[in-house]
Amino acid sequence: MLRAGLLCVAGSALGIAGNAFTPRPAPLGGRVVPGADLPGAACEEPRSGIARISVEAAKPLCLACTAVFVDARSADEYSSGHVTGAVHLPPGEAVEPLLARLRAAPAVIVYDRDRDCAAADRVAARLQAEGLRDVRVLTGAWPEWLARGGPGESGACGACTADGR
Amino acid sequence: MTRWLLVATRVALGALFLWAALSKLPDMEGFAQDVANYRILPALLVPYVAAAVIGIELLAALALISGVMARPAALAVAGLLTAFIAFLAQALSRGLDLRCGCFGSDELASWWTVVRDAAMLAGALVVARDSGQRQRVLEDERSRT
Repeated sequence: MLRAGLLCVAGSALGIAGNAFTPRPAPLGGRVVPGADLPGAACEEPRSGIARISVEAAKPLCLACTAVFVDARSADEYSSGHVTGAVHLPPGEAVEPLLARLRAAPAVIVYDRDRDCAAADRVAARLQAEGLRDVRVLTGAWPEWLARGGPGESGACGACTADGR
Repeated sequence: MTRWLLVATRVALGALFLWAALSKLPDMEGFAQDVANYRILPALLVPYVAAAVIGIELLAALALISGVMARPAALAVAGLLTAFIAFLAQALSRGLDLRCGCFGSDELASWWTVVRDAAMLAGALVVARDSGQRQRVLEDERSRT
């Protein structure tokens, strides 16, 4: 037990001392807050290679109906409010029923609940694998969309739902 | 437990932790972010804990693979896994949607991750118990001669 403790102390020292020699060191001495608490900052540097789009850039696409929004959150979250006209597609659900509709759109914008965009990235990667060319993930996700007054289910983007969604 | 099975478990556990540590080394900043996303540790402590975890993983992995100080390493790993399971369980039960930060990929945290960690924990406990027994047997033999 004592030696296990010593090993942990030595390991911690190794990790903290060695951190500076890694390509992207952890910011020792700084504060690291959850990605979702950063004002839209997380998601901006995609580690997944999926392109991003800001809420400001996405809003006009919603209003002009030139993009289909894909909601990657849970069914409950989707039903309690989503981007106007958005289709619901959480990770792990079949994309086939939606493909025709998504292919018809010039652009597809995926968003999820948390600003780290992990779920949206997964959905976006699957859509890309299906051959959709312009798939982007919404920076700041749903909280940012709400905070910046993006049109919600009953918002100003009613034209998008005119096709009988 | 037969000796070869014990050695295989020990080395496999060590290899998994070596992989876990090496896959996180290229992006420690990203791992610190993953740790922060669990919303347990204070923001100031996060980068230190992230760096320390990787150091312990690395050292414990080398010990498990080489067999030098294997028992303390197995105990340390068991402690780490217990903490991982606690972090994961609270995050999942609070409905946080996050990357698990397990092997430096974008893998999402899920109950499957908890099951996997629990299986590794069982392995670590077996190694800790049986390596200890073997050590005691060896020490007994040595004291008798």
